[in-house]
Amino acid sequence: MADILSTGLSGLLAFQRGLDTTSHNIANVSTPGYSRQTVELDTRQPEAYGNGWIGRGVDVASVRRNYNEVLALQVRNSSSAFSQLDSFAARAESISNLFSDSNTGLSATLQNFINAVQGVANAPTSLASRQVMLSQAQSLVDRLKANASQLDQMSTGINADLDNEVTAINSDAMAIASLNTQIAAGISQTGQPPNDLLDKRDTLLNDLASHVGVNVVAQTDGTVSVFIGTGEPLVLSGTAAKLTTQRDGYNSNELGIAFTNPAGNVDVSSNLTGGTIGGLLQFRSQMLDPAINQLGKIAATVAQIVNAQHQAGTALNGSPGQALFAVGGATVLPATGNAVGGSLTVTTTNATQLTGKDYVLEYTAGAWSLRQSDTGTSVALAGAGTLASPFTADGLAIVVNGTPAAGDHYLIRPTSAAVQGMSVLVTDPNAIAAASPVRAAAGLANSGGAAIASLQVTNSANPALQTATTIQFTGATTYTINGSGSYTYTPGAPIAVNGWSLTLSGTPATGDQFSVGSNANGSGDNSNALAIANALGAANGQIGALAGQVGVQTSQAQSGRDAQSAIHDESVAALDSVSGVNLDEEAASMLQYQQAYQAAAQVIRITQTMFQSLLDATRS
Amino acid sequence: MRISTSAFNAAAISDMEQAQTTLSKTQNQLATGKRVNSPADDPVAAVKIQEYERAKQESTQFGQNADAARNRLSLEAQALTDATNVMQQIRELTVSAANSATLTDVDRQSIAAQVDGLRQSMLDIANRKDSNGEYLFAGFSSQTQPFARNSSGSVQYAGDQGVRQLQISSSQTMADSDSGFGVFMNIQNGNGIFTVQPAPGNAGDVVVGTTAVLNQAAWVPGNYILKFSTPSNYTIVDASNAVVATGTYTAGSAISFNGVQFNLNGTPVANDSFAIAPAGKQDVFSMLDALSSALSTPVTTATQRAALASTIGMTLSQVDQTIDHLTTTSASVGTRLNVLDTIDGARSDADLQRATSLSRLQDVDYATAISNMNQQLVALQAAQASYARISQLSLFDYVS
Repeated sequence: MADILSTGLSGLLAFQRGLDTTSHNIANVSTPGYSRQTVELDTRQPEAYGNGWIGRGVDVASVRRNYNEVLALQVRNSSSAFSQLDSFAARAESISNLFSDSNTGLSATLQNFINAVQGVANAPTSLASRQVMLSQAQSLVDRLKANASQLDQMSTGINADLDNEVTAINSDAMAIASLNTQIAAGISQTGQPPNDLLDKRDTLLNDLASHVGVNVVAQTDGTVSVFIGTGEPLVLSGTAAKLTTQRDGYNSNELGIAFTNPAGNVDVSSNLTGGTIGGLLQFRSQMLDPAINQLGKIAATVAQIVNAQHQAGTALNGSPGQALFAVGGATVLPATGNAVGGSLTVTTTNATQLTGKDYVLEYTAGAWSLRQSDTGTSVALAGAGTLASPFTADGLAIVVNGTPAAGDHYLIRPTSAAVQGMSVLVTDPNAIAAASPVRAAAGLANSGGAAIASLQVTNSANPALQTATTIQFTGATTYTINGSGSYTYTPGAPIAVNGWSLTLSGTPATGDQFSVGSNANGSGDNSNALAIANALGAANGQIGALAGQVGVQTSQAQSGRDAQSAIHDESVAALDSVSGVNLDEEAASMLQYQQAYQAAAQVIRITQTMFQSLLDATRS
Repeated sequence: MRISTSAFNAAAISDMEQAQTTLSKTQNQLATGKRVNSPADDPVAAVKIQEYERAKQESTQFGQNADAARNRLSLEAQALTDATNVMQQIRELTVSAANSATLTDVDRQSIAAQVDGLRQSMLDIANRKDSNGEYLFAGFSSQTQPFARNSSGSVQYAGDQGVRQLQISSSQTMADSDSGFGVFMNIQNGNGIFTVQPAPGNAGDVVVGTTAVLNQAAWVPGNYILKFSTPSNYTIVDASNAVVATGTYTAGSAISFNGVQFNLNGTPVANDSFAIAPAGKQDVFSMLDALSSALSTPVTTATQRAALASTIGMTLSQVDQTIDHLTTTSASVGTRLNVLDTIDGARSDADLQRATSLSRLQDVDYATAISNMNQQLVALQAAQASYARISQLSLFDYVS
């Protein structure tokens, strides 16, 4: 009889636990990271009687967490990958907006400038058209600067984002370490896993994975170790390491991520992948820095092309053309540990040879070597690095000052600051050099069929450029210069003297004369303006290439993000199908437990009736 | 697969949000008429759009350049037509001065006065300006008056031989003018190949008549002298005094040597000579000066009359050369104007093509967009309705 009572009681207690757990599930139906729990029931040890084993009721073996380690791992990894692609794509879109807008884009602005130069070519004596050209030159500089400043802001924004990410990672790591301790204590105390704490820790691990790629290793005591990058321990049992942001080894404006360490912080930026941090670092190195450099390269190229041609021309007042644009030079950042007193002087010698890459110049074993900073590809150096014979490579000239120590190295960013230093140098519309400094004339007495096809300035610095020079043909294929010498004329080939080159068409006759001299009063000459406009076509191609590259990268990032988003959703759904709470299911188990509970209560009531019957039987 | 209640709700809400986003995008496309509203919508298309927009601007500029060239060339064409008309009048005056044997000195002086007037018109034409105030025929020195009389009274060219080129397509430039040197100065004289001129001291009354080139290949350019050894015999020697041809002279008959031929008319005196030289270059003003001065000089003797007749004859062929030259230049200007029209046509074709490509890239196809919108509306409505119904289902409703 007592057995029935205790059996019924065991049922009552077990179903009460069941109802407890069901209501816990229902209560947490909306709790993020909550895993459905189920009560594991187990029959009690039966009692042996001569006629067999009689059951003695039910026990609650444990409360099980519905969870799948593999699915959880998938969720963590896909979350890491998704966050990386998402943060990359979001920033790529804003760069793309900057470069591809058809109304405010660089292409349109450069084309406006070219059009204004063409306007000067149409009416070289018109001050109005010259003024328009100067205004458009300023617009071009303004547009480049606006773009560069937006890129710089993005770079600053990434620094702030990295700070926030590091704060979030440190906070997650500490919380995980603290949960590790509680979980280990909980397990050792009861031998049962503290399910809700495990859920909390999983939630934190997922959050951590969205910030940075992690490798989670479960330990036998119920704790987890968390590693980031290439195995740097972030959480070990109950202790968490601390990350921090710091400037890179060249003290540039870009922040890196480092492990704090009493012996000195260790930079791990290049090791980190995955998560928002991975996306930020990848975006900065693969898109933002190249875009800044490319923009600088465009500025340097435009300035060089325009300046070279403009300086080869003559202004309305007859003076030689000056440089039209100023542009910022190369930035040199010495490594923080370099020997005192050393420095580099880096100048751009040919902007069209610039690659848009950054370089590292390093002194090892008594010699300097140059490599691209992103890929490490070594770049051949010509020259000796002295003022008389500077190192030359990729359009740069490098002069080393001071005495270097082994291991000294410098980061050279040839075009990163080009746009900041850009300005329009010419303010007087009369100073626009639309004309050529020289002009050619055929002799009045010429009897041959030769005519002037073109006259080009090949070296505007030649002091004798504008000196009057007469070419006289002494035969169809020979000529004298100013009456002296005898030179061979190849039909169609240019005749180059004094920094200009004259091309004739047709066949000259003996005695024919062609003279070249100063283009004084040549205010109606537009040949230099035309040359400037034509030369700028190359820069337009560069802008198109930059916009195209940015567009393609953005497009790739977008499709990568969309694909990863679908994968992430699927892995979340897969885990959810194991761990999520379904209210209908809970209602059913509630009914089930309730009915069982009522039945168990009936058992107790029947025990009482049985007991009463027994008492009644023995009373009278 | 079992599905958790929160996942069901989250998925349903996420789906509806997605549907709303798509719908809003479609609505935005319909409202703006553009498929690509921000570069992020389609970065690759956005880059192409940008390039098309740039090309459009460039094409507009080429159009403006072509217009500028057309304006200048039209002005030049007009000037050349006017100059040709002036030359035609000069030709008529020259012919009338040559034809009438009865003209008195006074008559000739009146013709000379008319020539002077026309010469001034010619000078005015040569000094014409364009709408920017630049001289049309000054070359690069477009702000310097190209033609002016110097202290000795002859017209000098102060311009240069520069010809301004304008970019009228990405690969083509066009001269928007011709220099005054080319138009008014650099004109072949004589018949374009050679000239025959009487020596100043000739005593006879031989007049140089028509000249012709029979065989240009046989012509050896050089200076020759025809000398009458007797009134009926002549010798032609070259610059080194070597005899090239000899013959018997009959008045009015043709004399030919080295592939060229000319007529002499009248009676020579022994030792009269004529210079035969390759045609050089002469400017239109010095020719008119010479004509005017020849006509204004009184003529008394037969010798003077013969010299005048030779001068007038020579001037006539010179005038014809000039008219030819002006007409050729005019034709070159006309050709350039034609090319401009052709280029305009090609450019508008390209513009249209570009506009079509641009539209294909960035414009929305309304039929597709509206059909998309309808589908998306139906999908969203269905999602909302089904979610509202399904989310009401709960087993708890039946637990009493």
